[in-house]
Amino acid sequence: MDTAKNRDFDLSANAGASNIQLMTMALDASNSGVIITDHTQPDNPIIYCNKAFENITGYSRKDIIGHNCRFLQAQDRNQKEREILAHCIAEGEECRVEIRNYKKNGDLFWNELYMAPVKNEAGEVTHFIGIQNDVTWRKNAEHDLRQQKTVMEKKIRERTMALKDSEAFLSSIIETVREGLLVLDPDFNVLSANYHFLRTFKVSLEETVGRQLYDLGNHQWDIPKLRDLLIKILPTNNPVVDFEVEHDFPHIGRKLMLLNAYRVEFEGQFKDQILLAIEDITERREVENRKDDFLSIASHELRTPLTTIKGYVQLLERAMPENASQKFLSTFGKVSVYVERLNALIGELLDVSRIQSGNMELHMARFDFDAMIAEAVDGMRATVPTHNILLKGQTGASVVADESHIAQVVTNLLSNAIKYAPDSKQIEVNIANVSEYVKVSVKDFGLGMSQEDRKKVFERFYRGVEIQKKFPGMGIGLYICDQIIKNHNGTLWVESEIGKGSVFSFTLPKAGKEQHG
Amino acid sequence: MDKKKILICDDDEGIIDVLEMIMEEVGHEVMSVNDSLKVQEVIDKVQPDLLILDLWMPRLSGQDVLRQLRSHPQHDKLPVIVISASRDGEQIATAAGADQFIAKPFDLGNIVESVDALLN
Repeated sequence: MDTAKNRDFDLSANAGASNIQLMTMALDASNSGVIITDHTQPDNPIIYCNKAFENITGYSRKDIIGHNCRFLQAQDRNQKEREILAHCIAEGEECRVEIRNYKKNGDLFWNELYMAPVKNEAGEVTHFIGIQNDVTWRKNAEHDLRQQKTVMEKKIRERTMALKDSEAFLSSIIETVREGLLVLDPDFNVLSANYHFLRTFKVSLEETVGRQLYDLGNHQWDIPKLRDLLIKILPTNNPVVDFEVEHDFPHIGRKLMLLNAYRVEFEGQFKDQILLAIEDITERREVENRKDDFLSIASHELRTPLTTIKGYVQLLERAMPENASQKFLSTFGKVSVYVERLNALIGELLDVSRIQSGNMELHMARFDFDAMIAEAVDGMRATVPTHNILLKGQTGASVVADESHIAQVVTNLLSNAIKYAPDSKQIEVNIANVSEYVKVSVKDFGLGMSQEDRKKVFERFYRGVEIQKKFPGMGIGLYICDQIIKNHNGTLWVESEIGKGSVFSFTLPKAGKEQHG
Repeated sequence: MDKKKILICDDDEGIIDVLEMIMEEVGHEVMSVNDSLKVQEVIDKVQPDLLILDLWMPRLSGQDVLRQLRSHPQHDKLPVIVISASRDGEQIATAAGADQFIAKPFDLGNIVESVDALLN
């Protein structure tokens, strides 16, 4: 065996049997299926197949020797790859196709088939060699990928449409709101302005978008306070809410505006853009001021002639002759009482108006609580000498509240106590500290009130049983007291039993209201 | 008690009349102005010892009159009693430089006492 020593492979008839054996072993060791068909015989029968072919297809050698490979296609004969194969066979060319094949047990597998002709010395095709690889997994992966791609594209289309809808909706909202809205880039150029802005400030879109904010409408927006907001405040204080700006605009006049400003902080294409919302409160403020004016004017106008009447009555009293009759003196006394009543009525009316229009202004200040109580009690003692008002306890507290309003409450409770206890002449006032509050109780031993009265007694215009009309009141006194105490964040309540008298109590936070309004 | 010059400034004739009568009754010399625009002029001419001033007046408010007076070196020490019907009158009056605030409708006794106290 000369060729045994020669490492070159030689397929000629002189080649050693061991070489053939080695090559056969190599073929059988291959992972790819290999078949050889004889083109010289009719219908290209298979004359050789390797182990891998058997493994891939499930057919054994004896099953397929002599057959044409078309059996691999089973019933699936309509694949176009067959035409390619037929063409190559006819032309004696090599080709590569991916074709659907079926194993012996009927299972589908994808066959990557490489076919090449073997030609003799005359150039005629004698055999074909087919190399098969099972690429099912790859085909499946490719299919899945294509499917996913289709799903993704559909999702993207849907999302894009939804996004367009959102954008259109957003746009509609912005154009419909009743506030001016501006979007600025970080350099304060106007990126967009909504319809309300254009209409309020009488500018067009063309002369607004793309311009510097301060240049708009011939520098009418070059407002120092606005500059402060954008340059000094917004960088560190984001967002800014209820920023008041007043400006005299050349063509539209003086405007008072509340601004909200927000610098976009979230990442993305809108970062550092500035949103500016502008509310025109010029008219609203005017109406508020006018309301206030009306109340103030009403108060002044009503009290002025009353002052004069009171003055004249007092002058008359002082000018009373020595020998004036009792009738004279007592009549003057009565006039004084009714003058005071009218004054109190005016005060109550204005209080109620203020409460209703939300304008109850409290002037909070620190004062000596015990001193205020003592003064109110003394005042009542002087007015009604017939009753005995006992003051018990002390708080030693320095309280933050509207002193005159609280004094009004105390006086009102005292006069009620007297009014509803005409026969029993004893009134007790108790003051004490209760945690962070002061508490005041006014106790009378008079008529008391029913449960129904107790529930409604703080309502506006509610009157329980009336006996004496010695003191002024339209049934709004307790309503006002309740509102005053409530506005201080305290509480006012009554405990009472018919025939046994009543106790009106209220608490008042010593440190004043925590918040305004 | 010495006879002093009291000037009253209020846009209401009735109130001026009442105050004039009481001030005369207790023995003072009384003058009155019912147009706030003229009060500065009258003060310069008359040199009163005390001014009773209303807050709510048309064209020039009592508040502004008082502020002007207090910035005038000659009149910044003039005793002024402010009278007013509004509840925040006291705040405004004190802020503008009033020596005393009396709410309308006032008690004549109070007026007399306050005038007395400020003049002595």
